[in-house]
Amino acid sequence: MASDPQAFLRDLIERQRLQSLAVSSTGFAFDPRSGQSFTINRTGLATLEHLRRTADIDETVSALSTRYGVPADMVLGAVEVFVRQLARYLV
Amino acid sequence: MNAKPDNPGPGLAVARCLRGLPDFAGRLIGLGYDALDPGLHHGLLDAAYLLPYPTSGADAQFERLTGVRENERIDVVIPCLDAELTNFAHNETRLLSLGMRTLAPTREQIKGRAKDNLPALCRRLSIAVPDTRPVTDPSFFDRCTDDGWTYPLVVKGIYYDAAIVHDPAEAKAAFHRIADQWGYPVLAQEFVPGYEVNLVAVGDGRGGMVSPVMMRKKALTEKGKAWAGIAIDDDDLERLASRIVRALNWRGPLEVEALRGDDGLLYLIEVNPRFPAWVYLSHGVGRNLPAMVLRLLAGETAFDPPPPRPGTLFIRYAEEVIVPLGQFEAILIDGAVRTGSGNRKDP
Repeated sequence: MASDPQAFLRDLIERQRLQSLAVSSTGFAFDPRSGQSFTINRTGLATLEHLRRTADIDETVSALSTRYGVPADMVLGAVEVFVRQLARYLV
Repeated sequence: MNAKPDNPGPGLAVARCLRGLPDFAGRLIGLGYDALDPGLHHGLLDAAYLLPYPTSGADAQFERLTGVRENERIDVVIPCLDAELTNFAHNETRLLSLGMRTLAPTREQIKGRAKDNLPALCRRLSIAVPDTRPVTDPSFFDRCTDDGWTYPLVVKGIYYDAAIVHDPAEAKAAFHRIADQWGYPVLAQEFVPGYEVNLVAVGDGRGGMVSPVMMRKKALTEKGKAWAGIAIDDDDLERLASRIVRALNWRGPLEVEALRGDDGLLYLIEVNPRFPAWVYLSHGVGRNLPAMVLRLLAGETAFDPPPPRPGTLFIRYAEEVIVPLGQFEAILIDGAVRTGSGNRKDP
């Protein structure tokens, strides 16, 4: 099992876990492998979209920092927590 | 049929699947073992008959079905009860002479996936399985921690029933209750934390697995049976089931029960040699498995099932079936009932 957020992310992508997640525009997310569902807020949705597209935490942080006008170090902390949370849900 | 409120048998669900086919024009005949079996009285069926209990043996089953055949043309029998399968396997050729076809496992296949043979099968196929051992002496539960076992653990019947126990007293109580009902040996099994995932499919008898449908339980009865479930798509589970079907050349319906451990590994728990009660979900996700049995028996070999629809839920409910006294009398005295409607459509 990965130990740092970027490794967590790589693991999720390699196992197709992030891509297979079904996410609606309302933030309802369904994991077809486990049958678990959960909700993601608007910033979470934006984060997930970037993570899926770039597969890179730094690029995601940079994009979100620009989009929301928030310092990158603050965004980084939030994105890392989000990735760890995804890794817990998508075992 | 064999249905109980919080633990329904698969028979009615199989009947609902078939009745749900838009082009189904056949008659549905229920076969059950108890006059109070609700499936015998359900309006989904055109007629229903009592069979002698499976313990009466294969000859008694054949004799009764020969009698039923005098009243009903039966083209296909879909056994739905573990205990009756051996008799059906024994009678397969004789039933064929009456025009009744079955797509059911052979006795060797039934034995190959039996609970006490499962660890060996898993070893052969390199499938993870919780450590399991047969127990005939309940004092095992007092000293099992000396041999490396840890509580909680699971106490299981050889055919049915299971309890999670947390100490020797609970374990011995479960041991006696299960042994009284289901006989010896009782099985002690390592408890693996995680969540249960199930798969239902049909084996074509040549090593192929047709149209798997997978489900995760979302709400449980006290017995741990699914009261609600959601369709999933788990490649690992599908591969695991495929290996079992291929290794046994499985013929007929089967249910694979597995556990996705908190460690991420998939552990095989059980292989049931028939459709489960939740098989109606297969109709709900567009992969009507009882229909697959009919297609296989009709000689079809190529199947292109639609993609599974993960996220489709089922939620079970119990309903009262109203039975006129004359119908109850008919099943008790004649062992047969014609419900008459037999054309009720389910959504």
